[in-house]
Amino acid sequence: MACPYLAYRREDAEHSFDTDRAYCTAAETFVQPMRADICNDRHELDHTTDCEIYLEADE
Amino acid sequence: MSYETYLAGEPVIVTAALTGGVHGKEANPAIPETPAEIGAAAAAAEAAGASVVHLHARQDNGERAFPTERFQEVTDEVRSRTEDVIVQHSTGGTGASVETRAQPLRTDPPPEMASLDMGPLNRYDHLTSENTRATVDALHDEMQDRGIKPELELFNDGHINETHQLLERRDLDDPLCATLIFGSGTLTRPRPRNFLNAIDDLPEGTLFNTLGFGPHQLAFATMGILFGGHVRVGLEDNVYYERGEIAESNAQLVERVAGVAETLGRPVATTEQAREILGL
Repeated sequence: MACPYLAYRREDAEHSFDTDRAYCTAAETFVQPMRADICNDRHELDHTTDCEIYLEADE
Repeated sequence: MSYETYLAGEPVIVTAALTGGVHGKEANPAIPETPAEIGAAAAAAEAAGASVVHLHARQDNGERAFPTERFQEVTDEVRSRTEDVIVQHSTGGTGASVETRAQPLRTDPPPEMASLDMGPLNRYDHLTSENTRATVDALHDEMQDRGIKPELELFNDGHINETHQLLERRDLDDPLCATLIFGSGTLTRPRPRNFLNAIDDLPEGTLFNTLGFGPHQLAFATMGILFGGHVRVGLEDNVYYERGEIAESNAQLVERVAGVAETLGRPVATTEQAREILGL
């Protein structure tokens, strides 16, 4: 299951993109593409153990 | 390779790392992400002096993509838009299985070269790219089966040990090609004496590529040129041109380092020369 703080957006105050991109609502920023794999629990990644932003926000 | 190589004025191979898989357009809008963008960036980098392009594949939204089919789209775009550039696929992939990471080796034709990460490195606060010896061996063996030359990526001095040990386990064709990587975190600290120690510790006859992350890109490329090595630049490793000024393109970074090499008396290798030097 994907991170509950993950959203897909095209823009924020500083960025505008042609496609929806991974956005962290906890950190309030677009995330790096590699981090998006953690947000989505892809491959062998798990946001509940691998992401410091999730762990801090979930405390 | 040594200062004597520099004095002899031997050609410098410039590798352009065009896109990577860690950061994307959120860091620099000029980072190419789609196959068409990567192909166009490869053509511009080749025109600026790059003879090798190091490629990753991404989804249209910039996220990492490992499937052979997506790498095929990328490499087809690159090959159709460039003259004769050497294609090098990444097999890096934090958190991805060996089977997933081997997918980029299976394009038709296969890449002439592929990267081989030589050991673990930390990512963020809770994650490690493991790159176990079993992973290294498995990726190496598939490269060998497909006639792909490995480019050994040495993120720190421990990976030089791993390289010596790999040579005890496997037969690699000469010349051995290694990229010495300097930066923060798990990487070798970017200091000149660490660079000198690293090139002294490489197996005899190793061709080395010099890669400094972020603000160290130009300085370490220059050291690589002066000590007989080759260089890798590009937006995968550094999104800035100068402090506070983001780079306009991969070609801009290639053009600058090509100018440094020429100024220092080493010509930039043509693709034909690069193939001969690399033993492709």
